[in-house]
Amino acid sequence: MQATVGAIASSVPQEERARRDARHDRLFGWLLKGCALLVLACLLGAAGATLWGGRHAFGTFGWHFLVSDAWDPSTDTYGALVPVYGTIATSFIALLLAVPVSFGIALYLSEVAPPWLRTPVASAIELLAGIPSIIYGMWGLFIFAPFFSDHVKPWMTNYLGDKPDDGKLSWVAQHVPFVGKLFGSDYPFGASILTAGIVLAVMIIPFISSVMREVFQTVPTRLKESAYALGSSTWEVSWDIVLPYTRSAVIGGIFLGLGRALGETMAVTFVLGNAMKLSPSILDPGASIASTIANQFSEAAGLQKSTLMALAFLLFVVTFIVLLIARWMLRQLAHKEGR
Amino acid sequence: MATGSSLYTQRRIKNIIALSLSVVATLIGLIFLAWILWETLRQGIGALRPQLFTKITAYGEDGGLLNAMVGSLMVNMIGIVIATPIGVLAGAWLAEYASGTKLGESIRFLNDILLSAPSIVLGLFVYTIVVLPSTSLTNGSTTFSGWAGGVALALIALPVIVRTSDEMLRLVPSTLREASLSLGIPQWKLTTQILIRAARSGIITGVLLALARISGETAPLLFTAFGNNYLTFNPSDKMSSLPQVIYQYANDPGEGLHAIAWAGAFVLTMFVLLLSLASRLVLSRNKVSHD
Amino acid sequence: MTESAAAGIHPQSAATHAPLAPTKIKVRDLHFYYNGFHALKGISMDIPEKKVTAIIGPSGCGKSTLLRIFNRIYAIYPKLEAKGEIILDEENILDSRYSMNRLRSKVGMVFQKPVPFPMTIFENVAYGIRHHEKLSRADMDIRVEQALRSAALWDEVKDKLKQSALGLSGGQQQRLCIARGIALKPEVLLLDEPTSALDPIATGRIEQLVEELKSEYTIVIVTHNMQQAARCSDLTAFMYLGELIEFDRTEQIFTKPGKKQTEDYITGRFG
Repeated sequence: MQATVGAIASSVPQEERARRDARHDRLFGWLLKGCALLVLACLLGAAGATLWGGRHAFGTFGWHFLVSDAWDPSTDTYGALVPVYGTIATSFIALLLAVPVSFGIALYLSEVAPPWLRTPVASAIELLAGIPSIIYGMWGLFIFAPFFSDHVKPWMTNYLGDKPDDGKLSWVAQHVPFVGKLFGSDYPFGASILTAGIVLAVMIIPFISSVMREVFQTVPTRLKESAYALGSSTWEVSWDIVLPYTRSAVIGGIFLGLGRALGETMAVTFVLGNAMKLSPSILDPGASIASTIANQFSEAAGLQKSTLMALAFLLFVVTFIVLLIARWMLRQLAHKEGR
Repeated sequence: MATGSSLYTQRRIKNIIALSLSVVATLIGLIFLAWILWETLRQGIGALRPQLFTKITAYGEDGGLLNAMVGSLMVNMIGIVIATPIGVLAGAWLAEYASGTKLGESIRFLNDILLSAPSIVLGLFVYTIVVLPSTSLTNGSTTFSGWAGGVALALIALPVIVRTSDEMLRLVPSTLREASLSLGIPQWKLTTQILIRAARSGIITGVLLALARISGETAPLLFTAFGNNYLTFNPSDKMSSLPQVIYQYANDPGEGLHAIAWAGAFVLTMFVLLLSLASRLVLSRNKVSHD
Repeated sequence: MTESAAAGIHPQSAATHAPLAPTKIKVRDLHFYYNGFHALKGISMDIPEKKVTAIIGPSGCGKSTLLRIFNRIYAIYPKLEAKGEIILDEENILDSRYSMNRLRSKVGMVFQKPVPFPMTIFENVAYGIRHHEKLSRADMDIRVEQALRSAALWDEVKDKLKQSALGLSGGQQQRLCIARGIALKPEVLLLDEPTSALDPIATGRIEQLVEELKSEYTIVIVTHNMQQAARCSDLTAFMYLGELIEFDRTEQIFTKPGKKQTEDYITGRFG
């Protein structure tokens, strides 16, 4: 009996409650949407803030900014070429080294390694991704750069470069175009574009290899099995079946690594030498956009500050495009899987 | 026959070479990992002294890292406290409200981009929106602050939390939604009290991962929290942080400071690795209870 | 009301269940579409009050779809559309003005797989009540106990009400879900293959429970298990390819089905 009374009595408040719920639901939806839109605001804000901060530099130097290698605080003339070149060169070297190694790791983990070894090795490689970039920087500065300058660099300058210690050019430096210039250096320390590229490569290997491994695992087993049934070797299956099937996602993973490399600050700043001077040699020191900002922003003022902001804007736009391509390529495979 | 068998041999050799190279590649990765960890342990443990935890950086080589550790903890906490609610709610919007809509898909996509956007640019963004305006309020003395540092780290933590919350909420079976809605429970209660609770351990994992990520961030702090040689608990002051002191000390010619930088690097690495270990544990325990 | 009574009552049902009980839910010319696919084709049926109505049929025949329209749970997904009328106590629940809140406090639902909320056993039952009514602690305790007793779960859980519901067995979880549903004192209880994830013993307990609950609730149960329908229902509807083929008293359906398709299905010649 109690229940019946309750049911009748509650029918009016119930309508009211329904209205209140609908109102709360609407407010809650707006709140959530607002939070999600903050993600958009961050991206637009970062682009807008750096563009606005760099307006003096863009206004003063115009398009010339992009092709000028000047960097002289005493006369207040700046160009983007040195840091832009440094950024591209270090990232390119990093990709050149990291892509084959990452592919090897992914291949090993998905096809070659005995199953019991896969998880521990994969976790170890992923651990590499968890180490803060400043630790890479310190390791690069105190351990790797000295090692490089003691054991690797002399060999490169003497046998490949056009500035060997004893003055006698090697056969390679004399006969193969560009190589002499590329490896010639009389800078006595380990910091260089190549060193930075190597440290960056170590940093992005775990990113690229884990994406590759993941996408390799999405290849349908029946596809691989039918190739094995035709007598293909593991390598042939990987190269002829797995890689073409996952091509777009593999490229996406590589671009993801490139995006990381372009924007990386700390690991690079320590081992790049921070020379605002253009050199054809990858064994000479250089500067990247991120390292230039990290080194100079705190003390900069006026036009120099604006120039650094302008550089940040360039960096942001370029990484945005690279990451856009990366995500888009990764999405292709997801679509193919019908997800 | 002869050509057939030589072709076969050729293919086998190619296979063996390729697979051996894959082993070499894996070894290269592992060697670098071991090398970096080993040096951090060796140099860091060698430089560990009790005064690292009791003295501040103002004493230089005779000092410690107390202010840097306190600063790091505070700035990280500010970052996580800002990013967690926003990130979880944004993730809930993506998973519960916007699935299948154009706007939802675009924001999910852009969030993935923000995830790997250069942190130094985000630092400059926060410099522009937090440090510069407050500077203009204080007659031109630059107002770097712990708050600004925290906001910068929040921007870096945000996409990590958005992404894991989104993914974890989408893993919650839709029957739970149907069961709640069929009791007449409104969407906002369902989201905040049931779905987020069901995805709790996954979301915690995301927060821990975000914390690990921002603990090692240096670049965005350089022009937001800036650094401070003295101990402060007031986030309105300039604030020191572990990565920023490591950066400063490592670039200093003084050998004594290098040792402190290594000790700091050791502490930082251990902290970050323990965090990612903890996040894995949370997730794996959750998986067990689900089965 | 006279015109709808004349309009489309299914011939068999009109004749047979009229003496059983007054009608609780009137379905009139119900069509359902998802993404353009015509899933239900003109269903009309009268579901009597305080009886157990079973809906059977091969997978994909639309039986679960039909059930999910009775409390409009389908509406949480986009691109689904229902046309026609479902009259619950003189009101069309498909009318957009019909409050969802009211509908769902009148019509409870239990799903195929037990879905306890990630809370304590007590909270699982109290959570829904708390949203609809403000009760004192003591009243709430009584209400939760009543619900758990009605769901034949009280004796098993009375000592561990503060423990997580996720620790219960599958059968207990399903009875908890039933308790959660009846705690709101609904008038209709929808059961969507409630035992398909359970072992035979747990299934037996749920069937027994259905038998006990029908004195208070109008129960509609979807099942792919014909024995279950035969054991615990008063009326049985047979559906095939989105159409209601036959709707009659259960013993009639299982002993002398009126249609060839029904007979084929029941004797196991297809499905």
